[in-house]
Amino acid sequence: MENLSLLQPATAVPARKRSKWRLAFEQRYLFLMSLPFVIWLFVFSYLPLWGWTMAFQKFKPGRTFGEQQWVGLDNFVQLFREPHFYMVLRNTLAMSFMGLAVGYTIPVVFAILLNEIRWSPFKRSIQTISYLPHFVSWVVVAGIITKMLSTDGGIVNEILLALNLIDQPIQFMAKGEWFWGIVTMSDLWKEMGWNSIIFLAAISGIDNEQYEAAKVDGASRLRRMWHITLPGIRPTLMVMLILSIGWLTSIGFEKQYLLGNSLVQDYSEVLDLYVLNYGINLGRYSFGTAIGIVNSLVAITLLLLSNRIFKRITNESVI
Amino acid sequence: MRKKSKLLALSMASVMVILSACTGSNSGGNASEGNEANAGANGGSPEPITLTMFSADMNTNYENMKSDVGKKITELTGVKLEIDYPVGDPKQKISLMAASNEYPDLIFAKNEVNMLVEAGGLIDLAPLIEEYGPNIKKLYGDYLKRLRWSKDDPSIYFLGAYGVNEVQWKPKDGFMLQHDVVKELGYPEIKTVKDFENAIRAYLEKHPTIDGQPTIGLSLLADDWRIAQSVTNPAVFSTGGSDDGEWYIDETTQKPVVHFTRPEEKEYFKWLNHMYNSGLIDPESFVQKYDQYKAKIASGRVLGLIDSEWQFREPMQALRQAGKDERTYGMYPVTLNETFQNRNFQSPGYSGGVGVAISKDAKDPVRAIKFLDWLCSDEAQILNNWGVEGIHYTIQDGKRVISKEEMAKRTTDPEYGKKTGIGVYLYPFPEYGAGVTDATGQTYKIENEQQIIDSYSDVEKEVLAGYGAKMWKDLYPQSSEFPVKPWGSAWQINIPQDTDGAITMQKSLELLRKRVPEMIMAKPEQFDGLWDSFQAELDKAGVHELEKQFEGLLKDKIALFND
Repeated sequence: MENLSLLQPATAVPARKRSKWRLAFEQRYLFLMSLPFVIWLFVFSYLPLWGWTMAFQKFKPGRTFGEQQWVGLDNFVQLFREPHFYMVLRNTLAMSFMGLAVGYTIPVVFAILLNEIRWSPFKRSIQTISYLPHFVSWVVVAGIITKMLSTDGGIVNEILLALNLIDQPIQFMAKGEWFWGIVTMSDLWKEMGWNSIIFLAAISGIDNEQYEAAKVDGASRLRRMWHITLPGIRPTLMVMLILSIGWLTSIGFEKQYLLGNSLVQDYSEVLDLYVLNYGINLGRYSFGTAIGIVNSLVAITLLLLSNRIFKRITNESVI
Repeated sequence: MRKKSKLLALSMASVMVILSACTGSNSGGNASEGNEANAGANGGSPEPITLTMFSADMNTNYENMKSDVGKKITELTGVKLEIDYPVGDPKQKISLMAASNEYPDLIFAKNEVNMLVEAGGLIDLAPLIEEYGPNIKKLYGDYLKRLRWSKDDPSIYFLGAYGVNEVQWKPKDGFMLQHDVVKELGYPEIKTVKDFENAIRAYLEKHPTIDGQPTIGLSLLADDWRIAQSVTNPAVFSTGGSDDGEWYIDETTQKPVVHFTRPEEKEYFKWLNHMYNSGLIDPESFVQKYDQYKAKIASGRVLGLIDSEWQFREPMQALRQAGKDERTYGMYPVTLNETFQNRNFQSPGYSGGVGVAISKDAKDPVRAIKFLDWLCSDEAQILNNWGVEGIHYTIQDGKRVISKEEMAKRTTDPEYGKKTGIGVYLYPFPEYGAGVTDATGQTYKIENEQQIIDSYSDVEKEVLAGYGAKMWKDLYPQSSEFPVKPWGSAWQINIPQDTDGAITMQKSLELLRKRVPEMIMAKPEQFDGLWDSFQAELDKAGVHELEKQFEGLLKDKIALFND
């Protein structure tokens, strides 16, 4: 309790400048406590940035820093001249935006609807069932999806054939244009339940009295969802959305790699895979680092931009 | 959070490099001091030591040295090998090893070895072999000089893998047909792609289902790099080329061309396109993954395959175990038409372009080379090929004999290698080739012609008799019909990493993997257009500059091998 009074700055002390130092001194234990985390952050998140210098070199392993040859922006110029790069960037952004559009809205809707279920055992079991796929590895999921969409006894084709909707099995996995959709849908299947957990938690934090009051006022279920539940979780929605936008360029390459095949490569190759194939695998560490930098810059720009837009519209922000 | 870890991952590698670069020189010095001390103390008694190793080729039979053979090796040498295998593409692991400047004791880097040599990660074995390697010298004989790196750098960085002085008894690649197909059709001649096609079509029409499931005419595999085995390499083999990887080298002019630019191969792919449009090729061919492919073969309903023998060995064993011998395959030397000869048996001599190296971080290079030397000894070669005396084979009248029951297990049990450890410590380590004999006149490998014939199933013998042959190799043009290739196997010639050629190669391969399946699955009238645009793309990627560069590398190799 006595600490509380210390946390109120500059009320009684006239000299502001001194008070800051005094305040810092008085909070020295708090600083001390946070020190390990600051060091951790510095060592693991900032120190590695030193490696970015590699992007401006023609890096060769086994040489010391001083022996490396500096090449200025050559790696970046080379990258931006490469048509392949724009293709993988397109694929990355397309799949991540599709993933965001579907993988963000559907869990919200799912959470709201699930919340409306009154019979708790049913609600709980549905929730558990829906997030279990999250724990299944992508390797297994890719196997299941490929099997399901197979032309050789795959269940989807069997059903379509049985319903007489098609007379030849469809080669789902061989159509490049469909690849983005297949990835998005499998991602949705795997992550929907998991992603809805945080929204469910936010919903349960809404005061029940609001619902009761609305009920008394004669609001229907839909009205209550629209006017109470949604505004109630708005801060969570915004934070989650902005954070997801920050991740847009780093969707990894696991699913694309596992679900893809040579026929759909023009649609399945993503940035991370490109870094691997044309950077690290060819020993072009510098080129790979340059792509990494571009990737990070795009991500940060998107994040800051969306944050500013949302701040203007809704007055919520994460930064 | 994820964004942050992304940033982190991106630069992690680079920081490791810099940190280790600073400390690198120190630790190097310490290590070598320690080694000398160790070597002196050893003096031959097998003091236990653990050697770490990275192998670029997955070996699913690796048993942590827990099997009979593995234990025996530790008992005799004191060495325990800890082998690390790549998850996914081995290139990444090797590349990160080079960047971080940290290596295991032994490395089998396969074709990425030049990355390590350039980074200075490997030690020169030549002086060590001179001092500690009598068995190594004996095993390689004159071919030891082929292990030299280049004209400018005559160091030996690794001991070449693959059997030395091998006599080839089995075809490695070919066009496969189920025994039941040829039997039922009365052993038709299978020489050209047309013969192959007709056999599949005739049988498929008669038997639309096998064991209740729809019959598949021909299944191909295009899973990542495996596309080379099943789709693109056969294009060279069926048009008169031998296995030089992505290259076709004219025998008289010694000019290399990237093989998939040859007009002959256009005709081959056109035939595949025709097969696809006639419904004889499994529509899932270019989508399926390797395990799906194996499962399909093991179900016994795939009539034909075009592949390398080692790719479908497992499902073949499964079929034999299930007693479906008539569903296993015979190999036929099919060519595009009669003007071409199948060169599967043309000898490359010995290339030794890939193999096990000792890294600069090795705890004890002397111990490591002694171990490798021991692996080259008669004792080790016999142990690794035949197994432990009294368990896996016995000696009768001075001859090594494998009992009938043991032999049956060897040929039918897919897990045999893992259970016994036999074969696990051969490739990628040095080994004598099939047909080479020891001091007693017996072969190091268990294989000899009679043994191969004995391992055939009854159906197989019947089919061979139907073709008037004793072994599958009798169907192929014989080794003696071709000159030994003066450059070895061109796929073992590495293109230096930091040249444009390496990037061009990567781009061309990527194009190949995309465009060829597209072409095969296209409508017949679209084929020519697709081929032309594929060639234009290759041209743009710089394929012809790459050929010029490779011609230089090839010349150097030929000079190095034949001086």
